[in-house]
Amino acid sequence: MPQIEVRDLKKTYRVHEREAGASASFRSLFVRKYKAVEAVKGVSFSLDAGERVGFLGPNGAGKTTTLKMLAGLLYPDGGEAEVLGHVPWRRERNYLQRISLVMGNRNQLVWDLPAMDSFLVNQAVYQIPETAFRETLDELVALLDLTPLLKKQVRSLSLGERMKCELAAALLHRPDVLFLDEPTLGVDITMQGRIREFVASYNQKYGATVLLTSHYMADVTALCRRVIVIHHGQLLYDGELESLAARIAPFKLVQLELADAAAAARVEQFAEVLERQDTRVKLRVPRGEASLVVARILSELPIVDLTVQDPPIEEVIDQVFQGNAEVTA
Amino acid sequence: MSAPPERRWGARYFAELYRAQIRQGVAVMLQYRFAMVIWGVWGFVGPLVSLAIWNAASSARGGTIVNAANGASFQRGDFAAYFLTFMVFGHMTMSWDAFEYGWRVRTGGLSPLLLRPVDPIHADAARNVSFKLITSAILLPVWILLAWLLQPTPPESGWSLLLATPALLLAAVMRYVWQYCLAMVAFWTTRVEAIQQLYFTVDAFLGGRVAPLALLPGWLGVLAAWSPFRGMGAFPVELALGRIPAEQIAPAFLAQVGWLVVALLAYRALWRLGLRRYSAVGA
Repeated sequence: MPQIEVRDLKKTYRVHEREAGASASFRSLFVRKYKAVEAVKGVSFSLDAGERVGFLGPNGAGKTTTLKMLAGLLYPDGGEAEVLGHVPWRRERNYLQRISLVMGNRNQLVWDLPAMDSFLVNQAVYQIPETAFRETLDELVALLDLTPLLKKQVRSLSLGERMKCELAAALLHRPDVLFLDEPTLGVDITMQGRIREFVASYNQKYGATVLLTSHYMADVTALCRRVIVIHHGQLLYDGELESLAARIAPFKLVQLELADAAAAARVEQFAEVLERQDTRVKLRVPRGEASLVVARILSELPIVDLTVQDPPIEEVIDQVFQGNAEVTA
Repeated sequence: MSAPPERRWGARYFAELYRAQIRQGVAVMLQYRFAMVIWGVWGFVGPLVSLAIWNAASSARGGTIVNAANGASFQRGDFAAYFLTFMVFGHMTMSWDAFEYGWRVRTGGLSPLLLRPVDPIHADAARNVSFKLITSAILLPVWILLAWLLQPTPPESGWSLLLATPALLLAAVMRYVWQYCLAMVAFWTTRVEAIQQLYFTVDAFLGGRVAPLALLPGWLGVLAAWSPFRGMGAFPVELALGRIPAEQIAPAFLAQVGWLVVALLAYRALWRLGLRRYSAVGA
């Protein structure tokens, strides 16, 4: 039975619009123009217990809005959702007790105090028994290497250190469903790795369901076998990350190292050349013709080395976001 | 995944929640020692200014001011007693959430609080109590000094002070919930601070901060008596000083309870409707 079930979810924002300048400001005192922005246009998907799913899309695609609806922060304008058997926007205490939403650009920790003070408040807020609190805290401290941070004021922590403390605060009550919205936003590459490892281990240890948005594809490739791609508020793809390239990019990349430069000059007759540097050439070959083209190249050119690859996932996703590709889920 | 443990959301939970939140609130306050003094001092200024004005007015009229419409009379010592009591009671009932809510809604700062399985009003109320605990420590010695200097007329009996205690508690809760209702307006307009200023001014007049209600002109006095502001301000002060006839005490308590119920119902309705609006401004 799915733990997160979303059916035809919709959300429209009403946005006040006006031109720049003083006269437009004055006019807007009397006449206001509003524009309806459809942030989410009927999205449907479901997640089973313990799944880790990447929720991808460019800025403004509707990812965060969807997460906020599922975390009970926003009311939808249409559609249905059930998480852990609850309708999120009813905001039942027993529901909020079992979820967490970590937003890379929002803090729940009290800025002026050490993180430990916020953890103690969370213990009371989530009714965590003392033994369980100490046990989880010790575990989080060890996994996230928090010992040197616990006594420092939150405002004096670096962005990455703060994010580690935010994660700990969000997980002290051991949520069954974890929504992560850009959890590695702005943190350095080492810290990104630590956070990824931590999310993976939390998911494995507690069987928590994780829905993650990130602009760093490395987060997604490291954590999620399944991705949901959303663009302009609509679902474009829902499936294995590995299959995404096949669906979106109807080509493969063939990299060749040829025996001589003269041979390298002849590759154009086989496929589109993307790059050429001395004897090294990168070709784009239609996916369906890849084996045929490779066979011809092997028989007609003096090859030193040859590799056939799917295009990098970053490129594939970028193509979707740029609107240069069509996907069917 | 194991079945979630059973949670109880009763009085014991809220007692523990408030204890933890108040402790945190006090810790935050202690980080800003200078600001704490400023806020504490701010509590004296309004009543002291009113007292100075009324003292000047009473001196100009031979030491006593009488409202011919209702026969109420105040001398210098009465004014000192009224405004010094108001200084303490006003401090104990003060609330400022509406000033911050607009910012919270505009910036999405409300979101982390909304993720908790408990209404944000509890975190805010605990913060309010923390503020009062800390700043009262500053207010008390200054108040004693002022009382020694200004020689207020003491209340006729200690019973009136005892009776004023529940009135003060009700006033504090009432003002808090009314302020919170006003804060909810932030879901509809992002400049709730302007409305708050208007509210503050009306409250100052009808709640007795500018003048004892017995000295207000007839129609304004009637309006004040029927408004919720009296119950949040002047009523506990007048009660403590023994200035309310016995037969008027119970109806005034009832009015406090009635206005509190109205405020609580209004708050629940505004909160529910406001949450639906929250998205429009940028959660």
